[in-house]
Amino acid sequence: MGERTVVKTTCRMCGTLCGIDAHIEDNKVVHIEGNKDSVLNKGRICIKGSSAVTWLNHPDRLYKPLKKMENGEFVEIEMEQAMDEIAEKLTGIQKQYGDNAIGVWKGEGIDFAQQEELARRWIHSVGSPNYFSNDTQCFASRYLSFNLVYGCWPQADYDNSKMIINWGTNAPISHSYWMQQINNGRETGATLVVIDTRYTDIARQADIFIKIKPGTDAALAWGIIREMIKRDELDHEFIDNFTVGFDELKAYAEQYTFEKVKEITGVDSKYITQMVDAIAKARPQVSSWAGTGLEHQSNGVNSIRSVTMIDALAGAIDRKGGMKTPAGFGMRGLTIYDEKPLLELEPIGAKKYPVLYERRQECHTLMLMDQVLSSDPYPFKGLVMTAANPVLTNANTGKVEAALEALDLLVVKDLFLTETAKMADYVLPAASYLEREEVYCNSGKQAAFITGKYVDNGLQTEYEMFKGLAERMGAGDYFPWADDHELTEWLLEPTGYTVADLKTNPSGFIFGEYEYEKHRRKVANGEKAFNTPTGKVELFSEYLVEKGIEGLNGVPEYHDPAYVQQNDPAYPYLMITGARVQKFFHGRYRNIEQLRKANPDGCLEIHPEDAKELGIVDGEKIKITSRVGSIETFAKVVHEKEIIRGAVQHTHGYVNQNINYLTYDDVTDPVSGFPALKSIQIKIEKL
Amino acid sequence: MKVVTMDTSKCVGCRNCELACAFANSKATCERTESKIKVNHYIEEEVLIPMTCLHCEDAWCMNVCPAAAISRNEETNAVEIDEEKCAGCKMCILACPYGNIHFDEEKLVSTKCNLCEGNPRCVGHCVAAALQFEEAEEFAERSRKKVDMRLAETMKNTCK
Repeated sequence: MGERTVVKTTCRMCGTLCGIDAHIEDNKVVHIEGNKDSVLNKGRICIKGSSAVTWLNHPDRLYKPLKKMENGEFVEIEMEQAMDEIAEKLTGIQKQYGDNAIGVWKGEGIDFAQQEELARRWIHSVGSPNYFSNDTQCFASRYLSFNLVYGCWPQADYDNSKMIINWGTNAPISHSYWMQQINNGRETGATLVVIDTRYTDIARQADIFIKIKPGTDAALAWGIIREMIKRDELDHEFIDNFTVGFDELKAYAEQYTFEKVKEITGVDSKYITQMVDAIAKARPQVSSWAGTGLEHQSNGVNSIRSVTMIDALAGAIDRKGGMKTPAGFGMRGLTIYDEKPLLELEPIGAKKYPVLYERRQECHTLMLMDQVLSSDPYPFKGLVMTAANPVLTNANTGKVEAALEALDLLVVKDLFLTETAKMADYVLPAASYLEREEVYCNSGKQAAFITGKYVDNGLQTEYEMFKGLAERMGAGDYFPWADDHELTEWLLEPTGYTVADLKTNPSGFIFGEYEYEKHRRKVANGEKAFNTPTGKVELFSEYLVEKGIEGLNGVPEYHDPAYVQQNDPAYPYLMITGARVQKFFHGRYRNIEQLRKANPDGCLEIHPEDAKELGIVDGEKIKITSRVGSIETFAKVVHEKEIIRGAVQHTHGYVNQNINYLTYDDVTDPVSGFPALKSIQIKIEKL
Repeated sequence: MKVVTMDTSKCVGCRNCELACAFANSKATCERTESKIKVNHYIEEEVLIPMTCLHCEDAWCMNVCPAAAISRNEETNAVEIDEEKCAGCKMCILACPYGNIHFDEEKLVSTKCNLCEGNPRCVGHCVAAALQFEEAEEFAERSRKKVDMRLAETMKNTCK
């Protein structure tokens, strides 16, 4: 046994990024626990974090590039050969079909702060605007919504809050250390409100738990807004000086009477009264967070915008105990949109979802599948994926498989031979989070973190792959840095700090204390108070009106979700998909044996009365079918408190119960293009 | 000596503690059956209590064990079962008023929390910070503070 060293680094088993102590012995991680000094998680991690020891040392990990032969079998080849052949094929496709016939897709399989911008830089450097990512199924829609209203990606100031409102989000499972912050707020008197279709983990501690019909949250938000206005529980000074559109908002809110809200949402008016009572006591220390429960709806962007309006009316934006609007670290960016926008090459989805493209420069993964299959409006033939696994995680798996199959070239870089990697022509082994350097920032704490190469298996990093491909495709000038480390130093340069500075505190290098109410200082300095077109919090968005998206006005109006508008009685149950479980992260970790044993299969959570009606018992194998696909899975009859009648839930990411065979890629939010993964109409059959 | 304390007002029943405990003990699985800490959730009553051995100073399980298989670890103060000595008579399970001793159906011995050599994995995995590894008095101090603050708030509102 060699000497054991303990390094303080960042967990990358999900997107939450907790601080960990990784115990390294003989170039191998042997134990992981929470870093007690971390400014984020303060020594506590979830089971995914510690299980990384099994995952990173797994015998199935990839260490050699694979090439698929004519007979469909993979053979191991050398990295140089793989890179040469991939670059040659990409260039060949571009020559034959056009520069935009190739693209890159960033996934979360390795999680790496520089991965996104490196992918964006590379694909533009070789002449195509087609960058795709997992963010268009999770995150980007919430980003757009918050951004449209107050111009940033905020952080709830839970620690100091007096009222915490969680809409369709389950912090202990999805953002584990937030639960400590929420409990800190509760300990000093915050009221916790949870609004969800399911009685989730966090709902068990809620002071007010509101069970709501999927996709109707905005109607409840409007009911609350109407009541706030009626009772004059408003921060007039903030509204007058720092918002636009209050009159339009007020006029629209009028119609959301208690009766109307109950009819749409199923929520009794007493809850609205309770909430406004709590807001009256707590404001401006009100912090709301909206999760994927709202994002994965056909009215997702407007629902999240509506929710943020409550914070705005309470004067909670950029206030202590409200919603933080953090300052950045000021690092360099890697994208080259200014010098090479390539808009004339029609980034996929940019025309249909202009807000998504303008604000996030994200192409649309669902439209990509259609385009691969139809070559309309132009052929798309080659795709490089860095640790993405859309076969398990994108809507409408049947179409995803058909599209990936139809490509001339699919390259997947990942730690394991995932379901998507199995379809690839080339598979490149990826370096894990202990095998490369990265720098990332936590906006809530205004802290920067540095990680390092603590284990070395001689694996190619993401930077090395993109640099290598760019050099072979005549765009090497865009990647002048010798390695990850040189790149990190370059990125940090404008901040005035170096990697060595950041290393002085790997538990969180605070680059600036949070400044509350900076909107006042900014206005005094003649700057924009908020980073929106008007410089104010936009209760009404002229920008959205100008986009001319059908059915969309400046105020975030409530529209019934698609399943209400076009109800199909052939599919009488409403399925929510993608509720997280603490052991897994999307398509990952089913190969960690101890976790798989504790949760071997996917299952459909169902109300006991619905199960009884169908003659189904707990654990029974059943068949579920939607308009686009069908799978066999297991019934999990939950307690009547845990889900509303008529709604069911199935988590994603299980190979044998891949729920995305049922999800729709054609029912989407008009602004973000997000699929309504949490409102899928299905039928359930006994086998 | 430190014990694992549980703040029931913070626990959300995420069960990370159970998963971590099961793996720390079995080295093979995170299945709940292997866990010594149990998150007791009574959904009808809305009661949620993460419960594990409190390592009683006068441990009834230890007193009652006819095989003298239960002893105190001098370093960690943990009450531990020596599975070599355990006869599987289950008297300790009957003696524990909290239900914190379990029976291993494979090895046919009693089994319980051993505080993971002074670094309890359940606490390190409690993402809600409902579990702490601390002196009992520290817990009492926090409880006092909590109730004091509530009292102060009530007095402030009453005297308005």
